Amino acid sequence: MKGLHIIGVSHAYGDNQVLDNASLMIPAGELVCLLGPSGSGKTTLLRLAAGLERLQQGKILIDDEIIADVHCHVPPEHRGIGLMFQDYALFPHLSIIDNVTFGLLGQPDEQANRRAMDMLDQLGMTAHASKHPHMLSGGQQQRVALARALAPEPKLLLLDEPFSGLDTNMRGQIREETLSVLKASGVATVMVTHDPEEAMFMADRIKVLGDNGRILQAGRPHDIYYHPQHEFVAKLFGLMNRFEGVVKDGCVETPLGTVRAKGLGEGRRVEVLVRPEGVILDSEGKDGPIITVVSTHLLGHDNIVRVRLPDTTGDKEKGKELYVRAHHTFEPELSNRITAGVDPEYAFIFPIDNFGGMVGAGYTASPQPEAAE
Amino acid sequence: MINEATTTGMASSMATLNSKRAKKDVWSWLNVWSIGTVLIAMTLTVPILAVLFIGLTPSDAIWSHLASTVLPLYISTTLQLMVGVGVGTLVIGVATAWLVSTCRFPGKRIFEWALLLPMAMPAYVIAYVYTDILEYAGPAQGLLRDVFGWTTKQEYWFPEIRSLGGAVSMMTLVLYPYVYLLSRAAFMEQSVCMLEASRMLGRGPWRSFFSVALPLARPAIVIGVSLALMETLNDFGTVDFFAVSTFTLGIYDVWLNMNNVAGAAQLAGLLLFFVVFLVLTERFARRKQRFYHTTSQYKALPGYALQGWAKIGAVIGCALPVAFGFALPAMVLGSYAVMHFEAATNTAVFRYAGNSLMLSSLTAVLAVAIGIFMAYGVRLRKERIVSFMARFASLGYAVPGSVLAVGVLVSLGALDNGIDGFMRDKFGISTGLLFSGTIAAVTFGYLVRFLALSFGSIEASLSKITPSMDGAASSLGHKPFSILRHIHIPLIRGSALTAAMLVFVDCMKELPMTMILRPFNFHTLATYVHQFASDEQLGEASLAALAIVGFGILPVIVLSIAITRSRPGHSNEEPVS
Repeated sequence: MKGLHIIGVSHAYGDNQVLDNASLMIPAGELVCLLGPSGSGKTTLLRLAAGLERLQQGKILIDDEIIADVHCHVPPEHRGIGLMFQDYALFPHLSIIDNVTFGLLGQPDEQANRRAMDMLDQLGMTAHASKHPHMLSGGQQQRVALARALAPEPKLLLLDEPFSGLDTNMRGQIREETLSVLKASGVATVMVTHDPEEAMFMADRIKVLGDNGRILQAGRPHDIYYHPQHEFVAKLFGLMNRFEGVVKDGCVETPLGTVRAKGLGEGRRVEVLVRPEGVILDSEGKDGPIITVVSTHLLGHDNIVRVRLPDTTGDKEKGKELYVRAHHTFEPELSNRITAGVDPEYAFIFPIDNFGGMVGAGYTASPQPEAAE
Repeated sequence: MINEATTTGMASSMATLNSKRAKKDVWSWLNVWSIGTVLIAMTLTVPILAVLFIGLTPSDAIWSHLASTVLPLYISTTLQLMVGVGVGTLVIGVATAWLVSTCRFPGKRIFEWALLLPMAMPAYVIAYVYTDILEYAGPAQGLLRDVFGWTTKQEYWFPEIRSLGGAVSMMTLVLYPYVYLLSRAAFMEQSVCMLEASRMLGRGPWRSFFSVALPLARPAIVIGVSLALMETLNDFGTVDFFAVSTFTLGIYDVWLNMNNVAGAAQLAGLLLFFVVFLVLTERFARRKQRFYHTTSQYKALPGYALQGWAKIGAVIGCALPVAFGFALPAMVLGSYAVMHFEAATNTAVFRYAGNSLMLSSLTAVLAVAIGIFMAYGVRLRKERIVSFMARFASLGYAVPGSVLAVGVLVSLGALDNGIDGFMRDKFGISTGLLFSGTIAAVTFGYLVRFLALSFGSIEASLSKITPSMDGAASSLGHKPFSILRHIHIPLIRGSALTAAMLVFVDCMKELPMTMILRPFNFHTLATYVHQFASDEQLGEASLAALAIVGFGILPVIVLSIAITRSRPGHSNEEPVS
């Protein structure tokens, strides 16, 4: 099978176990994001694939060929893998064009130069070809690093937090450019990031990593957002409203209304996580509890609204506070009776085990083993 | 820092609090700092300017005489010495630095600091030791004669230690640590990510070294070699002992033996051109070096595990410089000290040691005090003239001691004559030579040469303190002096102490300036060792020489601690991803 195959890899730095029996399959021709918090071992996975770390346990294959196992270690320069470093690692003593031709060994100078200029052209950097890295802005350096990694036409491209060094207002634009260049080149790409939004934007497929390289969920961006199978995955995209309840007649009762709990046993204790956009505020509300608006913050398209539910005695000052993402037209001043409801598409139910902790899987589907993909 | 706008803004907002006083105080303090800085800097540059002035004043008689007699010899010898030492320190320094920074072999962790040890040896000390060992009557040739049954010098060839080649070897052995230190720092700082990037682009370890690591370290290597060459020009003891006719020796010779101060100054002025070349090279390299940092991620270097012959070669390659540059001479001196213990511990030695300690401590304290004053003056007023003067004053480190000594001699002589003339005119009293040939003259000379050490390290550590600290303190009502005392001095104490130590140790080792500037019959440990060794009585001076070496080890220890501290992730531990 074409692509990168990581099988049963464990890795430790001294006493620090970073990866524990991690397996991963990256099919050719796709852009896969490894999304995980720091300490999830995602950078180590990347470095192992690149050959910058020696494998301690397990094996790594590219296109069904072993490039690393316990006995064999193909050195990085023979793997045909491109890597774009988090801090770009441009060679400061070489000009931009020399940086890009650096990996074009064995080609005649003229041909290498043409290839490099072609890459720079795709990224709109030809005007800077004779400059040195320190003369470029962060965004320009990022483009050169991408051109340099792509120039030798690697079988696989690895991107290590490619946008983390950029300031927020540049990030969006560069992200888009990078994506279009990657799509144009058609190279299989693995990108490592801790930013869910970035992963959603770039990826054909996202793999969410938990501790020690364990894959919590893999799927298309849509699945990750709408069908989280793990509490951690659900919480990736920001603050959630949380309720606890018990399954009764296949449903769970929450202060915002009833949510269907398919596939969970009767009497099971569960938690219900509702995204801020899943709380529906109705200014001419009839059903549901009447809430008090605590504050509103207009962000542009959205309005972030903090509201308070009445407590069980009906006291408006003491109930649970909710975090709601409403449309920008929401104007609480115009109404004195606002009710809250729940959109089931944005509500996720996870069972709570007897000790009060979470059990891994969500309710909508049974967790898919990675190999089943 | 405190510019006009904020000062006036502050003053007007504090109108109720006697605004006039607040404003006046701030300004008067600023003036004291910047004028003080400029004045001190000017005083310290007088000797260099005096040499330049005399050197550029045409006095055809001396000049043509020098040019027709000794000058060509001085120039060619000095150039040969510089090329020899330059190549020698480059090869040994870079090779050992690369081995210990990127390869794994037995003893690597010991070599990391041991390779710095030869720095503790003044070149003249190992010159005396090796002469003792390698000359005709020494043990090495004696052994050969015994083994092969030779009886006369004509029967075999043996390299002459008292030669240009000998001087090159001696200086290379003790000066390569400059190159080692700087190139090792460069290898450790930059290569990690860069080497990985190079390998990801298809180049193997060796190609990566030559196409990435070495070019990246080039500025650091250039700086290291320039520093080593500045020391080479400064050396007096070795070339005097080996009778190698360099500029430094020539200056001394023209001054003492030909009694010609003007001629000496002319030679010194010419030597300054060599120095200017070195300083410009060094500065240029430093400027370039700033752009050579693109990576902020430090991970452990590759650590190629060497096998077989490569492993043995690496161990021997690292062991030889340490053995010949430090271990062997130290052992020889130690055994002499034991053998000649009675003679070596005469009371005179202790008096000379006292002289050395006194001069060195005095200079160290003054250098740090002045260094702090000037560095703070530069920080307070970011004005071109202030910082230019401060930098110009710290050029002394590059100027050979003999040149500075001539400059000090000439300028203090002029000062003494001026005072004497004035006093005689006004009061009819002759004051004679007030400063020339006094301890004050020696201290002044030391200061001119070593101030750069303290100024440089204090300025560097001041620059790490964010200017908002100054702003915060002054907004809380502190004046510049109070800010210096309560904020900066506590924060830079460590590096101020290091600076004091560096100055102290360099003063202990200093020979050429002391020889020229010292009062009559006044000895320091260095001049004592030089005199006795020149008289082939190294045994008696061995303890004094060991003392100099002992003090010289202090900065080596501090440097190696600093290196380990500067790279926390780079000890035994593996990187944490």
